[in-house]
Amino acid sequence: MGSTPTVGKSARLQGVATIALMALSLALVFFYAPLEAEQGFLQKIFYVHVPLAIISLVAFVLAGLLAVQYLRTRDAVWDMRAWVMIDLALAFAVAALVCGSIWAKGSWGHWWVWNEPTLVSFLIVILFYAVYRPLRAAVEDRERQAAYASVYAIVGAVFVPLNFLAVRFSSAYLHPRVLGASSQLPGPMALTFLVCLAADALLFATMFRYEMSLRRLRAMVRALRRRREAARAAAALTEQRRSAA
Amino acid sequence: MILALLPALPLHTAGKYVAGAYIVLLLLVLAYCASLAARVAAMERDVTELAADTDEDDA
Repeated sequence: MGSTPTVGKSARLQGVATIALMALSLALVFFYAPLEAEQGFLQKIFYVHVPLAIISLVAFVLAGLLAVQYLRTRDAVWDMRAWVMIDLALAFAVAALVCGSIWAKGSWGHWWVWNEPTLVSFLIVILFYAVYRPLRAAVEDRERQAAYASVYAIVGAVFVPLNFLAVRFSSAYLHPRVLGASSQLPGPMALTFLVCLAADALLFATMFRYEMSLRRLRAMVRALRRRREAARAAAALTEQRRSAA
Repeated sequence: MILALLPALPLHTAGKYVAGAYIVLLLLVLAYCASLAARVAAMERDVTELAADTDEDDA
């Protein structure tokens, strides 16, 4: 299944770079970015909430592309990549939702607003992907499981941008727009936001890399155990035949 | 539009919300590290067991 798994020097360097960039992003958030005029200190949540949400949505779409690659090649490593991508994206999405809910409480006085399309659509995306793991668990045959999960991931990857666009075109919303023509972020805020986005993206990439290494290693250990058991069974059978003869 | 009408929360009020949001990020990373550590420990046990069985077979 793919290349030999190693968490080598480059992975360690990536881990150190992630910690450094995360530290830099926090320093920029609290010591460089100016206080926002309307929300004041509360707006600092923006730098953690929005990058988490963006990265999770992009990762859901990427997982769909990985799933397409699995269906094209039938190489199990692509399925594993899509699976890991969706797992991590779901964790990021839940974190974004919780951060958003905290922000909503501070800003609007409510933990949740049901008539806000952005919140509800994001919750629907999370619920959609929450079914991915149970779907996999429901199919025993490994190849069928991978095929069904891939189709599901592809449907999700199409659904996520459509959902995003539908909300974008919605007229009634409370949610501020960060990206696009309506965004009016001043320079220091925009720079801080971009560094936070890069830091969270690197965090995601590092987690993805370590997770992939771990799952490949686990697959190798299982394969070794199966080989050993098969060799033992074959030796036992030979011994039995010899003694019978 | 509604946001524009809301006044900025003072630091002592907003601080707990901001801390809460950043703690969520910290918890995400810590939970992942803990999960990774647990799975690495489990795999270490598996590999040790496999190595012991292989030694046994060789002997």
